[in-house]
Amino acid sequence: MIELGMPVECRPFVQSAGRGPAATSFDPFALSFAAARMAMIITDPRQPDNPIVFANDAFSRLTGYARAEVVGRNCRFLQGRGTDPQAVDHLRERFRAGEGAEVEILNYRKDGTPFWNSLVISPVRSDAGDLLYYFASQHDVSDKKAAEVALTNVNHDLEEQIAHRTRDLRLALDQKTALLHEVDHRVKNTLQVIASLVHLKARRTDDERSRRVLLNLADQVNALSTAHRLLYAPEDVSRFDLAAFLEELMGDLVAPLPSGRIAVDLQAEPLAVSAAKAAPLALLIHEVVSNALAHAYPDDRRGRLLVRAEKLDGNLRIVIEDDGVGYSPSPAQAGFGRTLIDLLVRQVKGRIEWRRAEPGTRVTLTMPLDAEEALF
Amino acid sequence: MSSTAPLRILIVEDEILIGLELESLLQDLGHEVVGVAATSADAISLSEAQHPDLAFVDIHLADGPTGVDVARRLADIGVTVLFMTANAKRIPDDCAGAQGVIAKPYTERGVRQALAFVTRQDVAPADGTGMTFVPFAKRAGEVDSHA
Repeated sequence: MIELGMPVECRPFVQSAGRGPAATSFDPFALSFAAARMAMIITDPRQPDNPIVFANDAFSRLTGYARAEVVGRNCRFLQGRGTDPQAVDHLRERFRAGEGAEVEILNYRKDGTPFWNSLVISPVRSDAGDLLYYFASQHDVSDKKAAEVALTNVNHDLEEQIAHRTRDLRLALDQKTALLHEVDHRVKNTLQVIASLVHLKARRTDDERSRRVLLNLADQVNALSTAHRLLYAPEDVSRFDLAAFLEELMGDLVAPLPSGRIAVDLQAEPLAVSAAKAAPLALLIHEVVSNALAHAYPDDRRGRLLVRAEKLDGNLRIVIEDDGVGYSPSPAQAGFGRTLIDLLVRQVKGRIEWRRAEPGTRVTLTMPLDAEEALF
Repeated sequence: MSSTAPLRILIVEDEILIGLELESLLQDLGHEVVGVAATSADAISLSEAQHPDLAFVDIHLADGPTGVDVARRLADIGVTVLFMTANAKRIPDDCAGAQGVIAKPYTERGVRQALAFVTRQDVAPADGTGMTFVPFAKRAGEVDSHA
């Protein structure tokens, strides 16, 4: 008989592996098994509680148990306090089904020290398919597990740091938004005080010309106020809605006129204009429209005022067309209103064209849009 | 805009020039201004003494952002309240008993619209976007859009 120090229970396996009478002096399979550096055991599911029937030296080195201590016992003595019950259940189920398994499970050596065991179990069947043994290999993967745990901890720390920084950023953004609203609030309030001041002055001025000048100034402040009211919409503080502005402004300008005298036909594409252009554009449109209202319809004439705003070849084009008597756009007669218009046109880098429109006057303001504005 | 029976109006506003001008404007429109209050205490005592029909209430007053509390108290004693503010975000979701908000800086037209609305001469503006006056009946996002 071969001298492998094998318990008697193992012989059927050796004979089976040797397959015949050739395995007389030694069995290469059994020798390899016994000498392998990989910890390996064989269990016998045909005996009660599936006991170990063979364990190699590597198994003893890994677990600290001598062969004699483990043969005849079920493997569960390797389990301990930290062993995951789910992994144990999984193994039990696989055994019950007569199938192999691959798990990483926390086991304990004889001296009580834990190690992560990468356990691979394969059923060994006879030619007829009957389950004879389980063959199981064990491999200490504690280092790999420790690295995994460290990585998980690092990830967790990183996630916490990110969450922390996101919180800080959100707080900073909230503070910035609150500050913006506060500044916006103050600007609006100041504009309101200025408008009130000018109105109060106008009310207390006896001289009709002075009063008209003051009321015109109040209207200009109102035009700026209207632009400001539409700035700082919560969605985008860098842009201002030109169509909404035109609607408001036209409403304000015709409100003092007897109802229905001037019909406003507003045709404005939805246009988001850079907030920086809000003030000059508001004043500019105010001047042109109030010019038309002041001069095109003398003697309480009725009429229709067309205001069209559209995007055209990367430009913003605003057409203001009245059907009145046709007032002279000649610069010789121009007062400060025309000077103001020319200055503002220069500020927005645009050009303005006054033309007799039969009837009335058509004013066309063309100004370039920046790349972002052109998108809208 | 046809005139209605004159309203007795209280102005609650801590900017004295704004209060004075609004008083003049309301008088021009044919209404009676029973007082201009700059603090919440003045607003409440004036209301209890004068029983105005309507109050224009700024949210920020001389004693802090107390306009919302003033609005609640005034609404409780039967005064119709309109807010005036440059920051409609400060108005609570339940509108604190107020009927609408006039966005500052307001124009004469905004004030006229508000008066027409509270006297039921006028239906609410069709679209709250960009309006100087927004009644609270349609307050669902629109007010915030120009806070």
